[in-house]
Amino acid sequence: MLSTEIVEGCRAGDRDAFRALYDLYKDRVYSIAFYFLNGDPSAASDVTQQVFLKLITSIGQFRGEAEFSTWLYRLVVNACVDVARGRKFALTADRVQLEALAAAGSQEVDIARDQMARSVRAAVAALPSKFRVAVLLRYFEDLSYEEMATALGCSMGTVASRLSRGHRMLAERLKDLMAGKV
Amino acid sequence: MFSRYRLRKIAADLESQRAEQKARAKMAEYLPLVEAPEAVWAEIEAGLARRDRAPARRRIDLRWAWAGICAALLIGIFYWWRHGREWIETDSRSRVVVKVGAIGTVEVEPNTRVRVVADRASEHRFALAHGEIRASITAPPKLFFVDTAAGTAVDLGCEYSLSTDEDGSGVLRVTKGWVSFQWKGIESLVPAGASCRTRGRGGPGIPYFDDAPASFKRAAEALNIEAMLKDARSSDTLTLWHLLSRVDPANRARVFDRMADLTRVPAGVSRDLVLKLDPEALRRWKDELAWTW
Repeated sequence: MLSTEIVEGCRAGDRDAFRALYDLYKDRVYSIAFYFLNGDPSAASDVTQQVFLKLITSIGQFRGEAEFSTWLYRLVVNACVDVARGRKFALTADRVQLEALAAAGSQEVDIARDQMARSVRAAVAALPSKFRVAVLLRYFEDLSYEEMATALGCSMGTVASRLSRGHRMLAERLKDLMAGKV
Repeated sequence: MFSRYRLRKIAADLESQRAEQKARAKMAEYLPLVEAPEAVWAEIEAGLARRDRAPARRRIDLRWAWAGICAALLIGIFYWWRHGREWIETDSRSRVVVKVGAIGTVEVEPNTRVRVVADRASEHRFALAHGEIRASITAPPKLFFVDTAAGTAVDLGCEYSLSTDEDGSGVLRVTKGWVSFQWKGIESLVPAGASCRTRGRGGPGIPYFDDAPASFKRAAEALNIEAMLKDARSSDTLTLWHLLSRVDPANRARVFDRMADLTRVPAGVSRDLVLKLDPEALRRWKDELAWTW
C-alpha cells in the first residue's frame, strides 16, 4: 500500500522512496502493459519506464491512495495507447507473442491447463483495445467502476458497457479457440 | 408484480456478480502477474539522472533568455513599462524554458510574448500575447491553461505547441495526449497527431489529423462541408464529430449520415438524438470514436 512516507520521500527527491514506489506497482503496471501490448516485453518495458518517470516527476501533486491509483492507471492506459499507436500493433491472435510466458509456466502446470492459459491470453490480446484495457483493469487490477471511469476518462455507464461487451467477446473467442476454429 | 420484477432483477444482479467474480478468479489464474525486468529500473534511474542534470542546462538557457530579455528592455523600454514587468518577451534569437511548478515545462520560442498569470498547485495559467510556446505537462487534466486572444487551451495531460498572433489567429498542434481549446462555450478536443486553427473572436476551429489528405485539411480550415464529407476517412470522424454541433440542422443530418457510413453508431446514439444535439448522445459517440482517433 502506498504510504505517505513514500510520497513524502518522493517529493523530497529520495531515491529509496522512488524505488519503494516502483517496487510497489512495477509488476502490476508491467503486467497490464504486457498483456495489452500482445505480450511484447520491450513495449511493456517502455510503457513501465514512461509511467514511472511521469509518476516520480509529478508525485508532488497527489494526496491520498485513491487519487493516486486512478492517476497511475490513467497514465498506464495513455502510455499503452500511445505505444500501441506508435508501433502499430496488429491486434490479432496469430501475432500474439505470449508463447514465452506460457512456456515458462508450463513447467509447473499440466498440458491442458497450459493450453487453456494460452487460449485466454490469445483471446484477451485479440480484443479491441478499448475492451481489452477495460477487462484488464477490472479483472486484473480489481478497480471499481468509478476508478475505471476516471482512469479511462469516460462515464461509469461506458465502463459497464465496455466490460460487458468485452466479457461477451472474450467468452465467444474462447469458445472458438476451444473448438479449434482459430 | 413489481416485487416479482424486483426479485428477478436482484437475482440477475447477483448472478452477474457471481459470474464476474468467477471470471475474475479465472483471469487471475491465466493472466498471472509478470515481473518487470530489472533493466526497467535502470532505465528509469537513467531518466531521473537526466532530469537532475536538466536544471543546469536550464540555467544556461535562462541566461541566454534573460540576455534576450535585457536586450529587449534596452531596445524598447517604453514598451516594456507600458505592459508591465511580469511579461516574458523573447527576441528573434532568444528562447526561454519556464518550469511550470512540478508538472512540466514551457518552452518560449523566439519572438514571443507570454506572461505567467497564476502559479498555484491547483492552477498554472499563462497568457500568450503572441508567438509560440511548446508545453510538456505531466499532471492530471485541467491544471495547466494558456489564454490567447482566441480562447483558452486546457491541458488534459499532454505535449503540444501553440502559436498565435495578437488577434488570436494561430495553430494548436498536439503531439501527446489531449488538449481542449475553449472559447465562449465552443470547445475543440484535439488529440495527439491532430491540429486546430484558432481565430480571433472566432474561437477554436475544427480539429483535424495532421496525416489527413491536404484537401481534407483545407476543407476543414475553410469549413467546406461538401469537400469534408467527400474526403473523410474513418479517423476523420474527429473532424466530423466536431462539425455536428457547428452546422445547421440540414447539414448536420448529412454529417451524421457520413459518420454512420464510416463507423458503427454505438448503442444509445441515434440520428434523432444527434440531430437534436443531445449532449449525452454526443458524448457517448465521442467516447466510442476516441478509441479510433
